[in-house]
Amino acid sequence: MTDESIITTSDLNLWYHDTHALQSISIAIPRNRVTALIGPSGCGKSTLLRCFNRLNDLIDSVRVTGTIMLSGNNIHEPGTDVVQLRKRIGMVFQKPNPFPKSVYENVAYGPRVHGIKDKVELDRIVEKSLCDAALYDEVRDRLHESALSLSGGQQQRLCIARTLAVEPEVILMDEPCSALDPIATGKIEKLIDNLKQDYTVIIVTHNMQQAARVSDYTGFMYLGKLIECGRTRQIFENPKEDLTENYITGRFG
Amino acid sequence: MVQQEPDNEKTGHYRNRNDSSAAEARELRERAIKAVWFCTALTAILAIVFIILFLVRDSLPVVRDIGIVPFLTGTDWYPSGDPPVYGIAVLVIGTVLVTLGAMALAVPLSIGCAIYIAELAPLTVKNIVKPAIELLAGIPSVVYGFFGLIVLTDFIRVTFDVPSGETWLAGSILLAIMALPTIISISEDAISMVPSEYKEGSLAIGATRWQTISQVLVPGALSGITAAIILGFGRAIGETMAVMMVTGNAAIIPNPVWNVLSPVRTLTGTLGIEMGEVAVGSDHYAALFGVAVVLLAITLLVNSAAVLILNSIRERQSGRHSRKKRTIMTGKVWDQIRRPALIGEFLLLAVFLFVALPAHAALLITAGIIAGYCLRNLLDAKQAERIAFTLIIAAAAIVLLILAVILQDIIVHGLSAISWEFLTEGPKDLGRAGGIFPAIIGTFCLVTGAILFALPLGVGAAIYLIEYTKEGRITRLIRITVDLLNGTPSIVFGLFGLAFLVYFLNFGVSLLAGQVTLGLMVLPTIIRATEEALRTIPGSLREGSLALGATRWQTIWRVVLPPAVPGIVTGTILSIGRAAGETAPIMFTAVVFSQRYLTASVFEPVMALPYHLFILATNVPGSSTNKYGTALVLLLLVIGIYSVAIYVRSHFAKKMRG
Repeated sequence: MTDESIITTSDLNLWYHDTHALQSISIAIPRNRVTALIGPSGCGKSTLLRCFNRLNDLIDSVRVTGTIMLSGNNIHEPGTDVVQLRKRIGMVFQKPNPFPKSVYENVAYGPRVHGIKDKVELDRIVEKSLCDAALYDEVRDRLHESALSLSGGQQQRLCIARTLAVEPEVILMDEPCSALDPIATGKIEKLIDNLKQDYTVIIVTHNMQQAARVSDYTGFMYLGKLIECGRTRQIFENPKEDLTENYITGRFG
Repeated sequence: MVQQEPDNEKTGHYRNRNDSSAAEARELRERAIKAVWFCTALTAILAIVFIILFLVRDSLPVVRDIGIVPFLTGTDWYPSGDPPVYGIAVLVIGTVLVTLGAMALAVPLSIGCAIYIAELAPLTVKNIVKPAIELLAGIPSVVYGFFGLIVLTDFIRVTFDVPSGETWLAGSILLAIMALPTIISISEDAISMVPSEYKEGSLAIGATRWQTISQVLVPGALSGITAAIILGFGRAIGETMAVMMVTGNAAIIPNPVWNVLSPVRTLTGTLGIEMGEVAVGSDHYAALFGVAVVLLAITLLVNSAAVLILNSIRERQSGRHSRKKRTIMTGKVWDQIRRPALIGEFLLLAVFLFVALPAHAALLITAGIIAGYCLRNLLDAKQAERIAFTLIIAAAAIVLLILAVILQDIIVHGLSAISWEFLTEGPKDLGRAGGIFPAIIGTFCLVTGAILFALPLGVGAAIYLIEYTKEGRITRLIRITVDLLNGTPSIVFGLFGLAFLVYFLNFGVSLLAGQVTLGLMVLPTIIRATEEALRTIPGSLREGSLALGATRWQTIWRVVLPPAVPGIVTGTILSIGRAAGETAPIMFTAVVFSQRYLTASVFEPVMALPYHLFILATNVPGSSTNKYGTALVLLLLVIGIYSVAIYVRSHFAKKMRG
């Protein structure tokens, strides 16, 4: 890989109870690129994603070994400020999860919890984030209506806007389109393409076409192991491993 | 808040992002908040420990002076004899008899009514019947007692031509009515929770609705129904005021033992009657605390059994056991217990019927039931269904009729007493004339204080349990104590308040002692309501907030709590209703019967509506109008509070659904 990497893991292992869910994962995520993680259900893609912002901490009986370096700092170091970490690494979830508040309040939530109180500044951030998430034109007249009144695709873009509002460096996306129809999916994919100018995006997806369309790099995971990782083009056209080829050509999964 | 200067360089509005001192301060604050909630969660544990500690401490002389064995096995209770005799076996027997009688009446009615609500009732009827049942639960026990004393005992006296209607039968009927709502609502939940695929599967192979209900739904809901019955049993054992007012309170074993027209005396009744006039530190005082310990032990045992069953159901539903195993299990159990359960129930009912009805009528009904049971296989499925549904609808109708009779009696007689003066003046002539204003204010102060005490503790404990901890030993311990606290009879809270707050902390009989006692009593209700409300908030919202870099507390405060408010409010309103109607906890801790002035400080006693009604009904002859007036005001107050709670809940439930 020629691009500079922003996150690197080495020998990352994770157990739920006795299940060895991630086995010795070493991967480098390039800065300002879109990296896709693909693989059959239960292979550990989402678990790996949730390691990057330490969201697995919330789950009982999870044990992690190995290192994850974010711009040269180990995020498992005892003194690590998890709150800061999660501000730097935003996340968009599988199902849109807007807060039961207004559209405006959803986007303003992040800046507010990080101490911004100035109304003018908040307005500016909300507008900019909604624009960047390609949602502003659709909701400019209903900023103060409940976010739950938006369509599923709009809710998901709202969640992206909410993530952008805290200006993360990396955005994790956990199957962001799995609950959406094809039109909404198309909008999100276009958005992802635009985002990589300012952000690093890591996306987990079930949909191989989607991975091929949006990503620069692809990692293929299987049964908790990272089988192969490289430029998307190379993975899809000329995989080195038989497992990868079998999966890509649809022989299992 | 983390201080961050807005800064317009580049796009960065967060400049000091790695300011470590800010991070440390934030971390410290988070820890402090967590510690506060941990402490609130500990109050539940402390409360139960203190209750047990003080009851046991004050009952210790029993062991020394009376001896445990004579105390537990003695069948004579003569505290005023010379020498006094303290044997509580007679009281235990009284309690068991009254409660068993109540169960014999309540169980068939409740299950019938639950089946009706869950399966037969059209939606509109269901929307009326369910809140009506909840209203039945909201009626204060002293109002039940009042109704029983005035109407029921009179009815029994005239019908059976006995010198006094204050009997075992009256106690059982009244307790049955009071146990109905508990058993109905939990059984109904259990029946409704049987997966609809089972029901559809049964109907799809051509079973009738009744076959489906009796062979699929009821067996599937069996453990829930069992738990419901046990909880109803627990509630009946711990009930004080109503029982004390109608059972006659003679400490004798009925002769013959199935004579339901004999007066009896229960554990709770003994406490209610004698605790007020006993010298502190005497043997009698210790013996009464001994009674309370026994009562607490019995109710805790009964309630733990129910809680265990309910928990195992919950676990199964969350999928820790396979569903298949469960149906086979309950199916087997059902087959084994069906016959003995039916026969036992039938025998109990027969006793009641024989005593309660003229002999030939009882014989006829009994013969009819036996014939029906033997001939049931000769009926075709359609006819069986018709008969079963008739009985079920009859059960539901009886329950509603009971509610209607009670409300009608109190409203009709009470309305004539209500006037502006009645509501705004103090009592005169021992409450026969004048009004009840100080009692209204007293109840208001008691309830306000209780909620101010319990709400922060309860909400804090629930937040700690749901938001801060992983399931472990501590949470399990706290949950168990909350369950224990919830099952503690209200009279036991009263005794604890007396021993701990009034004497040990030297509050005296005072408003403050009453507020704290009532507060402890409603604490588990608030904790549970808040827990339920927090549990319904999807985890994805918490993750969404944490993933934006919000702290734990910011997430709770801004994202989790706001949508949980309706649930918390509902729980709080229910607690207010309960606190306003309770008599037993304040009887020895906070109230006086007559007071000319309003209380000026929290260290003085107050008047309270339920206690006022109790004294008027039992100790002041010739105050008929004012009795009914007081009962009506109390009833309207509590029902009003409950109605608000029911409205809030359904309103927000609709809103949540969109």
